[in-house]
Amino acid sequence: MRLSLNPFKRGLKNGIKPVSLNILFFVAYNNLYRNKLRTGLTIFGITIGISAIFFLTSFGLGLQDLVTEQVIGDKSIKAVDITSPNSKIIKLDDKTTNKLSNLGSVKKVGRSYSFPGSLTYKGAELDMVTYGVDENYQGLSSLNLVAGRLLKNTDNNQIIMNRAALTALGIKEDKDAIDRAVKLTIPLTGLKTDQKEIEDTFTIIGVVNSGAGGEVFIPRGKFDSAGIPYYSQVKVVVDDTKNVPALRKQIESMGFETTSPIDTLGQINEIFKFFTIILASFGAIGMVVSVLGMFNTLTISLLERTQEIGLMMSMGARNRDIRTLFVLEALILSVTGAVVGILIAVVTGKFVNLVMNIFAHQRGVPGSFELFSTPLWLMGVMVIFMVIVGNLVVHFPAKRAAKINPIDALRRE
Amino acid sequence: MDKDETIDVLKDVSFVMKYGSFNIIYGPSGSGKSTLLNVLTGLQKPTQGEITFDDQNVYDLKPDELAHFRANRIGIVYQQNYWVKSLTVIDNVAMPLYFLGYSRKEAHAQAIKALERVGMEGYTKKYPTRLSGGEQQRVAMARALVNDPLFIIADEPTGSLDSKNGDMIMGLLKRANKEQGRTIILVTHNMEYLPLANHLLHIQDGQVKELQGQNIHEETMGLMRDMKKRIDQLSRDKTGDEK
Repeated sequence: MRLSLNPFKRGLKNGIKPVSLNILFFVAYNNLYRNKLRTGLTIFGITIGISAIFFLTSFGLGLQDLVTEQVIGDKSIKAVDITSPNSKIIKLDDKTTNKLSNLGSVKKVGRSYSFPGSLTYKGAELDMVTYGVDENYQGLSSLNLVAGRLLKNTDNNQIIMNRAALTALGIKEDKDAIDRAVKLTIPLTGLKTDQKEIEDTFTIIGVVNSGAGGEVFIPRGKFDSAGIPYYSQVKVVVDDTKNVPALRKQIESMGFETTSPIDTLGQINEIFKFFTIILASFGAIGMVVSVLGMFNTLTISLLERTQEIGLMMSMGARNRDIRTLFVLEALILSVTGAVVGILIAVVTGKFVNLVMNIFAHQRGVPGSFELFSTPLWLMGVMVIFMVIVGNLVVHFPAKRAAKINPIDALRRE
Repeated sequence: MDKDETIDVLKDVSFVMKYGSFNIIYGPSGSGKSTLLNVLTGLQKPTQGEITFDDQNVYDLKPDELAHFRANRIGIVYQQNYWVKSLTVIDNVAMPLYFLGYSRKEAHAQAIKALERVGMEGYTKKYPTRLSGGEQQRVAMARALVNDPLFIIADEPTGSLDSKNGDMIMGLLKRANKEQGRTIILVTHNMEYLPLANHLLHIQDGQVKELQGQNIHEETMGLMRDMKKRIDQLSRDKTGDEK
């Protein structure tokens, strides 16, 4: 068959410009808006699925944070504690600590002595653990100062005590302890030292909230001048957390033992990873149902609009425009469902947390806690997850829509 | 019928449509009119032969180019009204321009002009499915005109309208042809419109007979005479039955 439509003034190939995405979005939005009930129910299904996953995951993460906070506290995960398994043979002395401070990734070194001692105050004598510390060591220990100040390297007869020690001494208010004088005796028996004991009167300059038993901190210089040949513990801090394992290996090869909050953190994370996955899996059951609902909605929409699709194609829509139209509809459904679901989960989490805090207060638990963790990354992951799910769900309906034969579609009643 | 058996709907069809002409395709049901229109609109590739446009075989175009060809060159009016039901009149009319990459603002400005041409500018915010049949067909005419097409293909546009609305649509097609110089390709059963054509394609059993100029008048008169004879025969048969 030869049919000539001639002569026409415009060429065929000049200026092909695709339909803009916001127009396809507009058409997609209008179609969903027209079927309010169906769209609403589909979004509701997705909302339930997403809020269940988000709620349970944020609960798992919240518990993980809570446990981590209790166990790790303010300890820096960049810090490594070094002790000697046999302090008389492998000595943690100045020579060794200087060597440690020269290791590549080490930024700071803090030294400490620890000995049992006894504290005398207003005629009462109490046993305490005594630490001889420097400024670096205090910094790396992340001591939680609640009154006064920490020790300086220039201090001599100053002392810091923890709350447990204050309570044992009968001092109720942290501030009341400041500037009070106490006598401290630290026996140094069994050590080849110049002095047999350290005995002096110290002025309390600070109170910290750490440990359950009585602890006191005095300037390291007191032990240095007594001639103690090695430190009880050394703390080093590295420039980057990722350098911790290599540094530990290096130090352990020198014969020392190392511990790091990362060990505990790793164990906590490992346990909670499985716990959170199990919780999220419960939520995923709801998600599966909502995904099926979404697939159903998109398929029905395709069947209902076959004629419309045929019309659009006869007016110049390309296959990919039709596919994009369906993908946009799926994305509107999934992203709206995800955002509303996250909001509902966050609000529900806040409410449950408030109720739990009120219960805890009524039972005498001090302070407040957060049972749910709702980090931005989790919200982002949920939205991205739904974008991916939406794309997967719409794949077949969109492919089918793009393959519609406009002639057959327009003939369809 | 054998599953693989093929039927030639159109056979040995060869004709030229001139720019600015008023072409009418007529013929009985099942004669191949719709197939011919589908082939012309770039929706159905012929098994043999070609459709050339500016020396370019339309079916040699890539799918995207073919879609662009439809959006850019053709305006279509169907007998049945097809709409994107979730959109208002103005967005339905603007639809072909959307597929040409127009923004909504640009497309709406053009759509209002097209609606003014058919006297439907007051219906922009309404939904087309809520309009009467005649109003819907006028909006469909506006949609066919909005992209400033080189040719308008009208597939029995008056088929489901009363004579008043039918005449109005034919008037719009006439104006589009006479005043704007658009090529009209009209499929109709209604013989009273045949004299509008300057190029007539009588299609029967897949064969096309081409008529032009004075021949059209003679063909129309002949068809009218046949019809009169048939009416007279039917009247006689009816009278005989009653007796």
